[in-house]
Amino acid sequence: MLISLGVLLFVNPAATLDEMIGASAGALELCIELCAVYAVWLGLLEIVDASGLGQKLARLLRPVIKKLFRVDNQEIQKMIALNMSANMLGLGNAATPMGIKAMRAMDDGSGKANFSMIMLIVINATSIQLLPSTVISLRSNAGSADAADIILPTLLSTIVTVSVGITLVLICDKIHKKIKARRRP
Amino acid sequence: MSIYILPILFIALFLYGFFKNINTYDTFVKGAKGAISLVVSIFPFIACIMIAVALLRVSGVTAFLAQALSPVFTFLGIPPELCELVLLRPFTGSGSFALLDDVLATYGADSYISRCACVILGCSETIFYVATVYFSQTKVKKLYYAIPCALIASIVGSIVACLLCRVM
Repeated sequence: MLISLGVLLFVNPAATLDEMIGASAGALELCIELCAVYAVWLGLLEIVDASGLGQKLARLLRPVIKKLFRVDNQEIQKMIALNMSANMLGLGNAATPMGIKAMRAMDDGSGKANFSMIMLIVINATSIQLLPSTVISLRSNAGSADAADIILPTLLSTIVTVSVGITLVLICDKIHKKIKARRRP
Repeated sequence: MSIYILPILFIALFLYGFFKNINTYDTFVKGAKGAISLVVSIFPFIACIMIAVALLRVSGVTAFLAQALSPVFTFLGIPPELCELVLLRPFTGSGSFALLDDVLATYGADSYISRCACVILGCSETIFYVATVYFSQTKVKKLYYAIPCALIASIVGSIVACLLCRVM
């Protein structure tokens, strides 16, 4: 941000404020849109939660979540289960509120990210998408003959992305623990 | 086919709630109420990251970086035309979709470059955006290796994406 501000000082000082306010307005617009989306999903999720479906889903995914995220708290496991399911369905915006809740619950107040938090971030930041719907619709709008033929390569490369992400987190965690152990013998 | 999945899931959910003796209306309202406070609390973070991205773009820093890095991208097998897209993708979802639209219009929707762009967008996420929003409600200041891991993973994913586009 500082670098680009510095560059702008020489290139186009007049546009700086306009551009910043424009971007902020864009953020506001996005937030209003998100608010609408979250209202729908949080409402539905509350029903999922109250009806006990959330618990069932969590029980189903518990072995994976326990191994991958190393959390034992059932409440957190449930939120992660919902977050992952939404991600798999390609509903990134539905996954976000659950993810935020899980992060808040996992925070130990030490100001440092722990293993489970990092794992959740990396998995969300490399999310598995079964159906890249926005990309497909953009592509068919641009006049593609077969807009959906990118589904398979997308699926394969997204699997690569997620598995590389998980592996890297596991490796980094080991290194991190070693460094910590060496510091405090 | 896929357009039916969500409506059917929703109907199933409401029916399930009904059989479990839940007041679906009250429950829905209770959940939906949380949306406003959630959005209010993440707005400043979204605003900040979008301002930063806008400044990066309008100042020409990204274009400069894209040019400087294009040999690296060629080496990795990613078409250099997609440099800016790959660089901006971790920061902004809407911005990268706008760029994808440009690419589709410039090179044609069925060209190799466009297909690469589509797959790269499909297999990656807005890493910095996700990290900012997810961490915004916690006290965490030290992220350790979270961002580097995600970044490396998506670069590997992008390389694989371009390879796959060549053969598929």
